[in-house]
Amino acid sequence: MFPSESLRRLRMLFRGSRFQEELNEEMRLHRELREQELLDLGQSPESARREANLRFGNVTSLGETSYQSWGWSWLESLFQDLRYGTRSMLRSPALTIVALLSLALGIGANTAIFSFIDTLMLRSLPVKDPSQLMFFGKEGEAGVTDRIGSTTLYSYPFFREMQKRNGVFSDVAAIFSELNTVHGTIQGQDSMQPMRVQLVSGSYFPTLGVQAVQGRVLSEADDTIEGAHPILVVSYAWWKRALASDPAALNRKITLGKTTFDIVGIAPPEFFGTSVGEAPDMWVPMSEMGFVPPAYDARKDNFWEGMHLIGRLKPGVSQEQATSNVNVLYQQIIRSFPDADLDARNAGYLNHAHVILTPMAKGLSSLRHRFSEPLKILMGITTLVLLIACANIANLLLARSTARARELAVRQALGAGRLRIVRQLLTESLVLALTGGLLGIGLSRIADRLLLRMISGGSDLVPLEVSINTNLLLFTFAVTVATAILFGIIPAFRSTRLELTDALKDGRGSSSKASSRSPLGKILIVSQIALSLVLMVGAILFIRSLVNLNNVDTGFNREGVLRLDIDSDVIGLKSEDPRMIAMFQEIEQRVSALPGVKAASFASFLFSQGSWNTGIRVVGQNLDDRVNIKHNVVGNEYFAAMQIPLLAGRTFGPQDTTTSHKVAVISERMAKDLFPSGVNPIGHHYYAGFDPKPDTEVEVIGIAKDVKFGDLQESPQYIDYIPNPQHPWGYGTLAVRYNGDFDATSRAVQQTIHSVNPRLPISHVGTLDEQVSSTLTNQRVVAQLSAFFGLLAVFLSCIGIYGLMSYTVGKRTNEIGIRIAIGASRASVRWLVLREIALLTAIGIAVGIPITIAGSRIVGTMLFGLRGADVVSLLTSVVALLAVALLAAYLPARRAASVDPVVALRYE
Amino acid sequence: MKRDEIPPGTLYLLILKALSLHGPLHGYEMANFIQRTSDNVLQVEEGSLYPALQRMLVKGWVTAEWGVTAGNRRARYYRLTPAGRKQLDAELSQFERVFGAIHRITQIA
Repeated sequence: MFPSESLRRLRMLFRGSRFQEELNEEMRLHRELREQELLDLGQSPESARREANLRFGNVTSLGETSYQSWGWSWLESLFQDLRYGTRSMLRSPALTIVALLSLALGIGANTAIFSFIDTLMLRSLPVKDPSQLMFFGKEGEAGVTDRIGSTTLYSYPFFREMQKRNGVFSDVAAIFSELNTVHGTIQGQDSMQPMRVQLVSGSYFPTLGVQAVQGRVLSEADDTIEGAHPILVVSYAWWKRALASDPAALNRKITLGKTTFDIVGIAPPEFFGTSVGEAPDMWVPMSEMGFVPPAYDARKDNFWEGMHLIGRLKPGVSQEQATSNVNVLYQQIIRSFPDADLDARNAGYLNHAHVILTPMAKGLSSLRHRFSEPLKILMGITTLVLLIACANIANLLLARSTARARELAVRQALGAGRLRIVRQLLTESLVLALTGGLLGIGLSRIADRLLLRMISGGSDLVPLEVSINTNLLLFTFAVTVATAILFGIIPAFRSTRLELTDALKDGRGSSSKASSRSPLGKILIVSQIALSLVLMVGAILFIRSLVNLNNVDTGFNREGVLRLDIDSDVIGLKSEDPRMIAMFQEIEQRVSALPGVKAASFASFLFSQGSWNTGIRVVGQNLDDRVNIKHNVVGNEYFAAMQIPLLAGRTFGPQDTTTSHKVAVISERMAKDLFPSGVNPIGHHYYAGFDPKPDTEVEVIGIAKDVKFGDLQESPQYIDYIPNPQHPWGYGTLAVRYNGDFDATSRAVQQTIHSVNPRLPISHVGTLDEQVSSTLTNQRVVAQLSAFFGLLAVFLSCIGIYGLMSYTVGKRTNEIGIRIAIGASRASVRWLVLREIALLTAIGIAVGIPITIAGSRIVGTMLFGLRGADVVSLLTSVVALLAVALLAAYLPARRAASVDPVVALRYE
Repeated sequence: MKRDEIPPGTLYLLILKALSLHGPLHGYEMANFIQRTSDNVLQVEEGSLYPALQRMLVKGWVTAEWGVTAGNRRARYYRLTPAGRKQLDAELSQFERVFGAIHRITQIA
């Protein structure tokens, strides 16, 4: 079709009703002129008119054909159907509201969950050709190690060698594996604020193929001479938030630690780095590593391994080719380092080391790792809810279409094609579904925000860009259309397949027809009940699992502890500096002395804050190399602050100083497993690390009860506690056991900290209990949402039951009237109705139980302290379902029982 | 008087020819032109001119404009466009080809 032709067609469309008027006018003129001519020829007025009309032809059909020439008739009939659909929706508002509400909830929930799946698992990184990007090693390992044979964390010199010598990547970039939160100052502002600073190699932006929207990105030249390039690139979001979208941002400066950095560029809005859900605020070249707090002086250290490496495959190079090239180089590079300590053990590690290349088109994400399973389960749940909603609507439409049987029969009798009517009924469902879909999208926006908050757990939102996009809209559209077809097609075909004479004779359908219609309705109800059972049992399982987790004995007392973070990096002293050690002790002492405070102590790890681990060598014991000890550097009052019971020996005191003999308190499990049996571990010695070097020797002075360290589900860990002066740690976290008001204590503690050092930034003030429960975020999200959806499912099923029963009772009014007239008691009539629904519910439950048991196996790994569906959960759900089903049927049953036989019999 | 139905597909040709001979016409004038010029042999169901004219409007062969008749009545006048003129040539040559062929066949006695 030529563009000008389309334009003419379009223009005609906008002429609307004038088109018909003009056409009618010119056709009328034609006939009148003809009539006049015939009159002039001497015909009688009557015959002149008749002949003029005869010669002209059928005006109506000519008008229609003319209109059709423009090719818009499909549109017109669509509009007709839409209008009709909307009208019929408005005619039964109750049905429409219920249908729309269940659809909106169903579609909204699906869209919301899908938008998270999309963000976390489906979307590609917004960089150039993300499918060419490879991550060295396996996702999930971060931090710093000096281990030989590390295949995920690498040193900066290793990165440089790999970048130089490989033949398979067009470029390789290094990213520091930890995203540091640094308290920095924007020049011209007084207060420090937290900034998430990402250290990257100069090749980072070129490798990703990302350009700045303003200024420039970092380049290889910025990563040459240490300390020579105090520059950084800020994220778009941070520029908007912290600099208020200052157009002159490139003139601004930021002070981190003692160094002032120039802003040289702003990254594009969609770019969030390489890790989904971890958006850095700014990127600093690795050459500045020693100047960005905590100022690691490690750029030249061959075995300070803390970098993640990514590479962009050269065109035509396969993952296998790249892997083999990387592994050959890996061995060569490590062995070429002169300080590589290749004793027998390390050589063994190195020989077994194999670098895996992980495609990272979708970016890296610890969130994905944590939430992919819960999200899949929630997606399943919401799909079931939507199915139930569809069944419900199909049932309602079925009931209504039976009521419309007469109307449809009349239309078919008048010559309407069956397909035309089916099309119209489907259009009606589509109107319903699309309206529901629109409402659903609106709802999903709210749900997304809610979900993001739930996922984030604490007060800080996870920086995830969960927004409407094409993927999402396509998904919703697909779901909506599928829904419309699903709930519309069966009623549409059913209601057009009828014996016309029967339907025309009897507007309400004869009572014999009622039974022929219900099987489908009954099947729908049975499947709703079955699905509801699945969802209910699921919800109960998840809730019980959450309760079990919450009741886990942590080994410490979760209650009554305030926790906060300070950023001691801003002071600019090394942690082993005596002034730092003294400062921490002073804060501990002063806070402890506050009224209402019972104990206060710093710790390197309170709960689920990562770990520092090494192997150990216990005197007189042959331990496996793989045994790893988690070390926790703490203050003297740590055990009192956490209320971790001491089982034997003593805790730390003022006698344990930098120069005194090194001591440690060990965990119960460590004492039991790692020390020679029959020997009291107290007073026994061990070495941190594999080799018995004198400076790593420690003496056990106490045994503490086992505590949960990383998460609530772990088995007892090997933990030792070390006093801070003997292994100084640049602390961040303070735990304060207090009595009384949280807010007052919090204020007093913060004031005290600032009285020791006014510059210390304080953040994440909260309770230990919150910190513990924040590790249950995904279990909590799943439990709460599955409970919500379980209830929703049951509610929807109730509506379905109510609808079906009301309908059948209406149909059977006549029969019930006769029963009552010949002496049936009201109670027996009620039972007649209830019996049917009880039977349907029982069948639904019988169908649902095997599905439930199979389904609970799938979620088994997500449950804690449960092995899938058990008798208690099943029984609770069955009883609850029966109860609400009967309740839903009770109202129609009562109505049936109150039928007045005289009225009922006169009814037909 | 016996009248013959016009051969299918030639209505466009007749309308185009009428317009090219007489300039802007309204529907009634076209009907009369076709009848008179064909000595009343060709009969058009007069109303069928109008769907055909709409089709031609879509194709862009003609444009329509409201004007006033000699009898001072409002009428829609159709005018040939350059595209319409080209179409007329195309239809004419096709017509001649086809009818020439038929003619040659029917002449073989």
